[in-house]
Amino acid sequence: MNINLTESSKIALNALRTHKLRSFLTLLGVIIGVMTVITVVSIIEGLDAYVKNQVLQFGSDTFSVQKFPNFVTSFEQFLEYNKRRDLTVEDMKAIEERCEKCKAAAAVQSKNGTVKVGTQSIEDVEIRGVTVNAPFMGQIMELSEGRHFTDFDIDHAAHRVIIGADVAEKLLAGRDPIGLELKINEVPFEIIGVAKKTGSFFGQSLDNFVRIPMTMYQRIFGARDSVFIQIQAYRESEVPQAMDEVRLIMRSRQHTPYNKDDGFSMETAATFIDLWENFSRGIFVVTIAISSIALVVGGVVIMNIMLVSVRERTREIGIRKAIGARRRDILVQFMIEAITLSGVGGLVGALLGLSIAFVISALSPLPVTIRWWSVLMGMGLASSVGLFFGIYPASRAAKLDPIVALRFE
Amino acid sequence: MGKNGNRPMILTEDLWKTYEMGSEKIHALHGVSFEIRQNEYVAIMGPSGSGKSTLMNVIGCLDTPSQGKYYINDRLVSELSDDELAYIRNKEIGFVFQTFNLLSRATALHNVELPLIYNGTPSVERLERAKASLVKVDLGDRMGHKPNELSGGQRQRVAIARALVNNPSIILADEPTGNLDTATGVEIMNLFERLWEQGNTIVLVTHEHDIAAHANRIIHLRDGRIERDEIVRQVEAQKPQPQTTEAAT
Ligand SMILES: Nc1ncnc2c1ncn2[C@@H]1O[C@H](COP(=O)(O)OP(=O)(O)OP(=O)(O)O)[C@@H](O)[C@H]1O
Ligand SMILES: [Mg+2]
Repeated sequence: MNINLTESSKIALNALRTHKLRSFLTLLGVIIGVMTVITVVSIIEGLDAYVKNQVLQFGSDTFSVQKFPNFVTSFEQFLEYNKRRDLTVEDMKAIEERCEKCKAAAAVQSKNGTVKVGTQSIEDVEIRGVTVNAPFMGQIMELSEGRHFTDFDIDHAAHRVIIGADVAEKLLAGRDPIGLELKINEVPFEIIGVAKKTGSFFGQSLDNFVRIPMTMYQRIFGARDSVFIQIQAYRESEVPQAMDEVRLIMRSRQHTPYNKDDGFSMETAATFIDLWENFSRGIFVVTIAISSIALVVGGVVIMNIMLVSVRERTREIGIRKAIGARRRDILVQFMIEAITLSGVGGLVGALLGLSIAFVISALSPLPVTIRWWSVLMGMGLASSVGLFFGIYPASRAAKLDPIVALRFE
Repeated sequence: MGKNGNRPMILTEDLWKTYEMGSEKIHALHGVSFEIRQNEYVAIMGPSGSGKSTLMNVIGCLDTPSQGKYYINDRLVSELSDDELAYIRNKEIGFVFQTFNLLSRATALHNVELPLIYNGTPSVERLERAKASLVKVDLGDRMGHKPNELSGGQRQRVAIARALVNNPSIILADEPTGNLDTATGVEIMNLFERLWEQGNTIVLVTHEHDIAAHANRIIHLRDGRIERDEIVRQVEAQKPQPQTTEAAT
């Protein structure tokens, strides 16, 4: 008087086969849950990795001196900071000369404007004025063609320009750019280099810029605005000392009394990362929320299918018990059914989720990072729901007198 | 009654089955006491709603009485474990439901095979016996049909084949010929008669006096009570050793 696992499996698989729609819908529930969790987590994690990577390009051995801090939280604060003296290329040069722990310094200034090649023009291009070191610090700019500026270019306000990949694409479309003439505010420049494509971030292209010598920039736009000073220490561990030196240099240049606050702000890569970490904690909560919704939706689908079928299944359980099935036999049957559905659904969902993640990373600029814990979490949660709603109603029905189960409405 | 050497297979003491419908109480069984000995052939008669099916379900171990005691083969049913009950339902009792209760998505053959699956009969033997049982009820050519592809009478015969496939010692049949034409009805009654002659115990519910006439005892139910319990036919001595579970197919 014993029914073995093979027979139980046969019964269970047979039940799945004879209830195709129900099996399919349950699978769908599990698949939706698992798939969404994996996709959402992959995208969000990808974004996180991408941002950290971007920020780190700024370099952990690098810091900046600027008129405004990176984040201004109120208008009053803005007015306060606005009273500060503008930073100048001379400030940068002073730092470069006097700071011992500083390996290099550069100044950058930028503004949006229109650039022209021949009769064609594009608006809203970021025009950056740079000093010679600037290309090698901060956003690393590798060139796909041509060369960087030299000291000579900067010192003599050469009419030379390095263009971003977008500008090259839009204005030159296939022509060899080197040596061509490009006009910024009607001032002619000779193209000496093209920057490598970096892609976009949050839908914003990072390749829509031109770089010109700071001297030229100030000649065109004036020297009124504050410059952004980037400083590189010899090594990461010396960043704090370098910052102390720079602070002293700047305070003395600005004649700041000892009891007054700095008239400038200093930021490091760490500040960015801290901020991002704060921000991404928020994102993480969103991830969990979206994933939970997906799991709940999947779970509700599974639950409904299972509960709708309880009536029919309860009758079936009544019949099976009436002709000699033990409670255990019923449970094993329903467990195998639920495990099969959850397992297959989990696997398919995981495969689909991963495929979607890969497709997204291939077809869009959105960065994607697969996290294996998301695969496990999705599969784990969705199959628990499947198992629970597959087994729990059945186990209750299996406890009924056969006749009660048979009469179940 | 005292049939020599026969012990009571079924013994009930003051069985009640009460359904509460709102504030109203319906007594489907109203203090039923009786015993059925081995190899009796009992017909239960009574008007619709008199509690016949309820009584059959209780003695088939499918339903629990609200009150009273029920012994099957000297064992108090309320004290049996789930596994023991399953064993009794599987091996000892062949139950033919008034409403058939077949698995609607399974073929006739699979339905008949099912009790054998639950007692671990090897698959080759299982198929053979299920087929033989279907042949016995004249359904050899309908084995692959599902219940909804069969007529009412054919479904009833599948249910009977399923009840007989394990060679149970007690056959409980709730109106087994209700949906059958006279010819098949007679066939089925002959089948029961043969099983009875082999020593099996048979209890069947019927409305028809012709059918009841096959039995040697008729219990009349009315409003959940035994109204009359009559021996209609003195039974000649049966074979002393009944073949039960070993009966050839
Ligand atoms: N689950 C239930 N809930 C409430 N009342 C019930 C239930 N099952 C049966 N009854 C009542 O119990 C009484 C006996 O029902 P039962 O099915 O035993 O009658 P029966 O003698 O088999 O009738 P029939 O000849 O029509 O099959 C009926 O009055 C019925 O309404
Ligand atoms: Mg009835």
